[in-house]
Amino acid sequence: MNLIEFSDIRKVYTIGSITIDALAGVSFEIGEHEFVAIMGPSGSGKSTLMHILGCLDTPTSGAYRLEGRDVSQLRSNDLASIRNRDIGFVFQSYNLLPQLSALENVLLPCTYSTHAISGRDERARAHELMERVGLKDRMYNRPVEMSGGEQQRVAIARALMMNPPVILADEPTGNLNSKGAREILNIMKELHTDGKTIIYVTHDDTIGAQAERVIRIQDGRVVADERN
Amino acid sequence: MDLRDSFRNATRAIFAAKMRSFLTMLGIIIGIAAVVMLMAVGNGTKQSILSRMQSSGSGNLYLTAGARSNVLMGGGGFGGGNRGGASAGAKITAEDLTYVEARVTYPIVVSPTNQTNITIKNGDTTMSGTGIFATPTYFEVENVTIANGRMISTSDIDNRTRNVVIGATVQTTLFPNESAVGQPIRINGASYKVVGVATAKGESMGSSVDTAIVLPFSVGEKSFGVVHNVIQRTTIKCVDPTQSLAVTTEITDILTRKHKKVDFSIQDVAAMTALVTSSMTILTTLLAAIGGLSLLVGGIGIMNIMLVSVTERTREIGIRKALGARERDILVQFLIESSLLSIAGGILGIAISVLGSDFIVSRFTTTSVTGSSILLAVGFSIAVGVFFGVYPARTAARMKPVDALRYE
Repeated sequence: MNLIEFSDIRKVYTIGSITIDALAGVSFEIGEHEFVAIMGPSGSGKSTLMHILGCLDTPTSGAYRLEGRDVSQLRSNDLASIRNRDIGFVFQSYNLLPQLSALENVLLPCTYSTHAISGRDERARAHELMERVGLKDRMYNRPVEMSGGEQQRVAIARALMMNPPVILADEPTGNLNSKGAREILNIMKELHTDGKTIIYVTHDDTIGAQAERVIRIQDGRVVADERN
Repeated sequence: MDLRDSFRNATRAIFAAKMRSFLTMLGIIIGIAAVVMLMAVGNGTKQSILSRMQSSGSGNLYLTAGARSNVLMGGGGFGGGNRGGASAGAKITAEDLTYVEARVTYPIVVSPTNQTNITIKNGDTTMSGTGIFATPTYFEVENVTIANGRMISTSDIDNRTRNVVIGATVQTTLFPNESAVGQPIRINGASYKVVGVATAKGESMGSSVDTAIVLPFSVGEKSFGVVHNVIQRTTIKCVDPTQSLAVTTEITDILTRKHKKVDFSIQDVAAMTALVTSSMTILTTLLAAIGGLSLLVGGIGIMNIMLVSVTERTREIGIRKALGARERDILVQFLIESSLLSIAGGILGIAISVLGSDFIVSRFTTTSVTGSSILLAVGFSIAVGVFFGVYPARTAARMKPVDALRYE
């Protein structure tokens, strides 16, 4: 069974009398444990695609199966629960909450979980994840006290907190210098090796080249789907 | 998300913008302080009026000559007996009282009094005061107790003895260094003997026994030119205060039959008390409503700030939603924040109003901060926080995650 199945997904925006097809019928499957790069120039629709993949937005039409379940027309509470448990987000701008410490940011998804886990277990796991991304000594720092690379590693720890099968990364190295970018990419590769499905949205060909598979988007359509 | 997390988040957000949070709370602080203090003034005024009315004894009726249209007209009080709408020739006599006492079926105590202004002198010290001509029942009916010596006795009345009981102020003014009991005292130039000193009591029904001298009733006609056989005011004490209305009706019937017309009036302290209570309650409610208006303005301030806060934190809302926050979680987060703001404002407002009414307003008027006004204030401030927080919180909760995340 495929982890993700997109069949003829469309997203139409209407601004006044103009309609824009951000996605004009996109279909593909992603299996478990794949490392897929989604590439395309800006305005190609890859952001919209990522939002729908991440259940942050719903398609105008088409079916999106996640782990065999059609999630394209779910209600907001069910989508929230999918975002909580099944998808770990890593954003280009890190999106950490500035008022919380690194550790608290990592723990944040737990506060929205409907599964009761003991606070001690949660904290133990958060500590473990901070250690894993190499920030054992930065647990109690605020995001402003950290470099971009460090913040992004906190964001990765946060994405892993609920142990989701899918990591959805949207240009995670876009704001980083080459050293920071390399570190993030290495962590992503490790996660892939550990069995996560990685979906990596980027316009950088050198990163795309390191993925197992590249799906290219242009004008709201899949123009290429090739394995490296 | 459990409530403890929510409270921690809310306090963090409130403290993150200290000045703004304080200014927002200020509206509630002022509103609550206004409500509590205005109610304190209303309640205080009510209590002081009532305590003055009740110190003369609840269940007392005042019988005076002359018909009156309204219980509160004429003001009552000593010396008011022939004021107001007294009809010419109307009078209450000793026979009237004997007649009434013989026929009333309820247990009552009757205290006839006359009263005149007098000059009191001891040695070189002079003061003016009130001469109250009374019988021994006066002390029971008017709640006057004796601090020193004895009351006017029946034999004083029968023998027209020149024995008097003086008020506490008379004692301290004319006999500053000694007990007045047993001492001679001059009233309007004639010599009398002090047999007792009354306990200080303060003002009651417009007069005070403290600056008065109680003389045997029978002395008045002989030495002070009080009209023979006319009683200015009779206080009738109902032994069971709850019967005051029935006693009033019965005495009115009896006297009307005897006089063939209603040329007298009976004031019922209980009825006046009820009237004052209800009108003061209206006043207090009115004052609270005025305070409530400022609370409303404070509430709108909270809504305004929460709307700004929601807009400013759109991205935070987006992040929380991306991590799995449901609409309810966001709603609760912002509702708790607005409620905390207004509860904190309410508590500060109560503290300020308690201090303010104890130390400032109480210099000008009687105040009384009651538990119920504090409860009302707390309840109201929670309600304001929730009510004015709902709209901003719903705005936040209903944001689409993708729009919230893209917000710059």
